[in-house]
Amino acid sequence: MNRRSLFAYRGTSSGRSDLLLGACAFIGFITMWSLLSHFEVVPQRFLPLPWKVVEALWYMLTERNFIEDIWISVARVWGAFLLSAVMAIPLGLLMSDYRIFGTLFEPIIDFIRYLPVPALVPLLIIWFGIGESSKIAVLWMGTFFQLVLLITDDAKRVPREFIEIGYTLGARPSQITRNIVLRAMLPSMVDSLRITLGWCWTWIIVAEIVAANSGIGHVIWSMRRFVKTPEVMAGILTVGIIGLVTDQAIRWFHRRYFRYL
Amino acid sequence: MDQDMPFLRVDGVSKTFETEGPSQAPIQVIDNVSMDLSAGEFAVYLGPSGCGKTTLMRIVGGLETANAGEIFLAGRKVTGPDRQKGMVFQAYTSFPWLTVLDNIRFGTKYRDDIGGAEKDEIARHYLELVGLQEFADFYVNRISGGMRQRVAIARTLAAGPDILLMDEPFGALDAQTREFLQYQLLEISRVEKKAVIFVTHDVEEAVFLADRIFMFSARPATIIEVIEVAQHIEGKRTITTKETEAFFHLRNHVRDLMRSQAKDLADAEKSREIEE
Repeated sequence: MNRRSLFAYRGTSSGRSDLLLGACAFIGFITMWSLLSHFEVVPQRFLPLPWKVVEALWYMLTERNFIEDIWISVARVWGAFLLSAVMAIPLGLLMSDYRIFGTLFEPIIDFIRYLPVPALVPLLIIWFGIGESSKIAVLWMGTFFQLVLLITDDAKRVPREFIEIGYTLGARPSQITRNIVLRAMLPSMVDSLRITLGWCWTWIIVAEIVAANSGIGHVIWSMRRFVKTPEVMAGILTVGIIGLVTDQAIRWFHRRYFRYL
Repeated sequence: MDQDMPFLRVDGVSKTFETEGPSQAPIQVIDNVSMDLSAGEFAVYLGPSGCGKTTLMRIVGGLETANAGEIFLAGRKVTGPDRQKGMVFQAYTSFPWLTVLDNIRFGTKYRDDIGGAEKDEIARHYLELVGLQEFADFYVNRISGGMRQRVAIARTLAAGPDILLMDEPFGALDAQTREFLQYQLLEISRVEKKAVIFVTHDVEEAVFLADRIFMFSARPATIIEVIEVAQHIEGKRTITTKETEAFFHLRNHVRDLMRSQAKDLADAEKSREIEE
């Protein structure tokens, strides 16, 4: 049986055909969109031609200083994401290493992470105002608690034998965590971080729509007021592109630095 | 240090595991086991699967605590795991993020008795001892299971333990690799002159490797017979040892012992089923 076929059950394929097929889906999507718009199946006022969206994006970048809003959003996302990560990684490790922290924090974290973040936005604005800190707070609320549990799971999946080997080689618990557990879980931790970073982009738009006078979300929301559909879609498109690029960059890093996998 | 104290003394060790659930009674896995081992001796713990021999080895290694009894290694009471008690597991424990050589060098990482240059030297030495020079720069995911176990053995030796505790290290390997590694392990233990406790349920493996076999009963584990293999099979063990008459007789004797234990285990399970 030829497994090196795109149609074989759990078959393999070459990188080139993967890339080609992935591109096909994009082309198909854009073609469909163009047809719907061109023949006004959906009025162009609501669904502009793809080209109009690109044009709008270009106009926003060159004339409306949209690049600055992009940078602001990127900075907010990364700031909040790094804050979440810096806090979640040590706590997650502690929770997996010591029962006291695990049993103490897991139930409450599990509870908080099910609180809908959009519902918390008004509260966070009352607490933090409409400055930068409220946006960071929204993103932090939306990622920190999820990330702690992901990190805890990553750490727990490190084989028990690895830890026992650490002991019998003379390592102390702190050395086992640093040199064995953290190193063994690193690939899956990078995946957890990548997924969480993606969520940040959802929450930042929510936060910027509700209360902001800058950022991609703010631009999308203010364009809506004038029913500038191409501009609104250009804003959404920008988030999509940033997400795709970041994701691919982290995946590349993953392949490059975890070659042993 | 007590002059009369042997290199390793296991003194009246018992172990009971608490089980989850309301109706489950605690399970006793080891019942008052005592044994001595002298320095450089190769001991095999042989017994039916699940009899508690691995648990006893883990207690010797300090990874489990006994409910009763004490362990003394080189005159000191065993209270927890450390570098003096090296372990090799059945599961592959070489670290995938390190190359073969770096894995072996990791064994020296927490040694404060030697410096960096000497650590490199030791890593190289054990790399050669297990014959993996050509694979020094390979990640361990790229080499075979047998090689991974050799890496694990070398890493453990590089830590400079007093005793080597091996829990069915060749259990997951194919017959040829297994035989090759058994032979290589004998060579290594001869060169290193280290005490070894080797846990297995494979009779041939036990007879081929051991100076002494400690034959365990079904759960709860007690030592039912100590077989002085070295008295029956004299001299250096080689590939042809397994074809000698002495080996053959001893193997049959040990196998019969194993069978009677396995039968006891089956009977016990059956009677429990009937009770339920």
